Amino acid sequence: QRGLALGTPATGGSPGQAPRTGSITVSVAVRGPRFRKLKIGAGHRLDVKASGVFVLGIGHGNKLLTDLYNCHLTKVYTVGGLFGKATDDFSDTGNLVEKTTFDHITREKLERILAVIQGTNQKALLMYSNIDMKTQEAYELAVKGLIRPMGKSPPIITAIRCLQFALPEFQLEIHCLHETQQYLRKVVHEIGLELKSSAVCTQVRRTRDGVFTVDDALPRTQWNLRSIQEAIRNCQLKVETELEKTLA
Amino acid sequence: RRKDRVFVWGFSYSGALGIPSFVKPDAGWKKPRRIQPTPYRLETEEKISSAACGYGFTLLASNTRDITKVWGMGLNKDSQLGFQRSRRDQTKCYEYVLEPSPIPLPLEKPQQTRVLQVSCGRAHSLVLTDSEGVFTMGNNSYGQCGRKVVEDEIYSGSHLIHQLKEFDSRVVQVVCGQDHSLFRTKKGTVYACGWGADGQTGLGHYNITSVPTKLHGDIAGVNIIQVSSYGDCCLAVSDEGDVFGWGNSEYLQLASVTETTQVNVPRHLPFKIGKVKEAACGGTGNVVLTEEGNVFVWGYGILGKGPNLIETAVPEMIPPSLFGWSDFSPDTRVAHVRCGLSQFAALTNRGELFVWGKNLRGCLGTGRMEDQYFPWRVTVPGEVVDVACGVDHMVSMVRSF
Repeated sequence: QRGLALGTPATGGSPGQAPRTGSITVSVAVRGPRFRKLKIGAGHRLDVKASGVFVLGIGHGNKLLTDLYNCHLTKVYTVGGLFGKATDDFSDTGNLVEKTTFDHITREKLERILAVIQGTNQKALLMYSNIDMKTQEAYELAVKGLIRPMGKSPPIITAIRCLQFALPEFQLEIHCLHETQQYLRKVVHEIGLELKSSAVCTQVRRTRDGVFTVDDALPRTQWNLRSIQEAIRNCQLKVETELEKTLA
Repeated sequence: RRKDRVFVWGFSYSGALGIPSFVKPDAGWKKPRRIQPTPYRLETEEKISSAACGYGFTLLASNTRDITKVWGMGLNKDSQLGFQRSRRDQTKCYEYVLEPSPIPLPLEKPQQTRVLQVSCGRAHSLVLTDSEGVFTMGNNSYGQCGRKVVEDEIYSGSHLIHQLKEFDSRVVQVVCGQDHSLFRTKKGTVYACGWGADGQTGLGHYNITSVPTKLHGDIAGVNIIQVSSYGDCCLAVSDEGDVFGWGNSEYLQLASVTETTQVNVPRHLPFKIGKVKEAACGGTGNVVLTEEGNVFVWGYGILGKGPNLIETAVPEMIPPSLFGWSDFSPDTRVAHVRCGLSQFAALTNRGELFVWGKNLRGCLGTGRMEDQYFPWRVTVPGEVVDVACGVDHMVSMVRSF
């Protein structure tokens, strides 16, 4: 940072003369703070009732955000559900629509529904990926884990499994693409219907968004410049490799 | 509590799936179901511990002490399911068995002996017990049942179930090839009998053998821990992780050691792929699983590496990412490999089932009718514990979560 001798000429010149050394545009006093406007972009949406990993881009990172969006990577959610009631917005804070019994529900029945969901979604995955399964290209993509819709598609669940089951509560882990959190709540509601009961969603928490996991995410106490800088540095390599792999 | 279930899929008209309503609908509005393209639950009375798929028939066995230990369904024209008394005519035997029916074994101690394992070939079956040796039934035209060939014997409606006890030690594994049988004993020796035109009996000649005879060649003195066969080629794995093969090599199965298309003596296959844990033989292709959890395929047909790989004499590895391995689940490994006549199956340690190969009459269970050129997950509601592959159907034993 070159300093500037304002008003104090190098040699004893008269005040009318312009200073001979230094650019006047470098100084903080002239230019103002270095960062006046910071372009911050948001990644995949996370609605008000949900929590978890939320990816943001700063400056050049915004371009990377668009690239990451075009990678169509899967996101992982932990979804909590409660059997016994149904609401109008599928969450536990909505208006109650009906109450049902749930003692007939067993973990095995739930697993069966989850397997069916996974099966129908696998079909959808193939359909929207527009890949001919008979080609060598399909094999190459499958090896790299790239068989997924690389364009617009309805929400697709690539994997779903039950983490905890303690009537009336249950917890699912859902890997999905092109989803909204409301869609996940609807899935919980539909699971309740399939089990001849009803269910509401109590929690939607994103535990992974593409390459970013909960471990990379900064909690509220670390929302300061140093932590942000460090976090960006740590994830840089991961992001680059993923972009190279998918968009190359 | 976790429950054990059996799921079946594939061609149903032979009765091999054990669901009578698919063949003869029990309601007017129901239509017969020729092919079951996805896993369908089969209700069984007992917990099934071993299953085997033959050419159009299935055997299920439970290691219970109850009197009924083995059930059979499907094709029974050679009495490969024993004598199934017809209800309409007590003297006649069913040619097709549509639901799992008990197979009466002539056991000396039926309330003590346990059935350990079953195996099925083209038209014969083997049942392994813990203390009464091996029981064989079905077609014996080539001595595959381990008894003398009787000229003009009529196998349909036969009550004959033969018992084999003369081995150097207790038999711990029985394997059926197409028309031959392999027996592996506790001491690590292998015996064979049956059709030998491709050298699949490994006894140094190409004739039939009607008495189980010990194999030598490169496996003499070697402690064999697993044998496999389904067509006319055979593979054996030793305790040190070496692979030995004999039998048909028309499809490059043994081309790594010889150019001849028939090998009638066990030969060591000098593959440099690491210590082998398990091997499985199909009709034209073979698959092995190494200690590290890698899957290697070779032979001819749809091998699992895309449509471009049709044949190879040297094993090629299938990338673990196709079995669910990824950066986010690095502990996922293949635990078992199985082979049908023209399809392969792999079970992972997460209880997932992956299949690939020719999708003959929906036998892959993927829900689609197209062939599958690389491993694809089969949606099963539960943790898949074991799977048996046949020609056009498969049976799996699943544990609910």
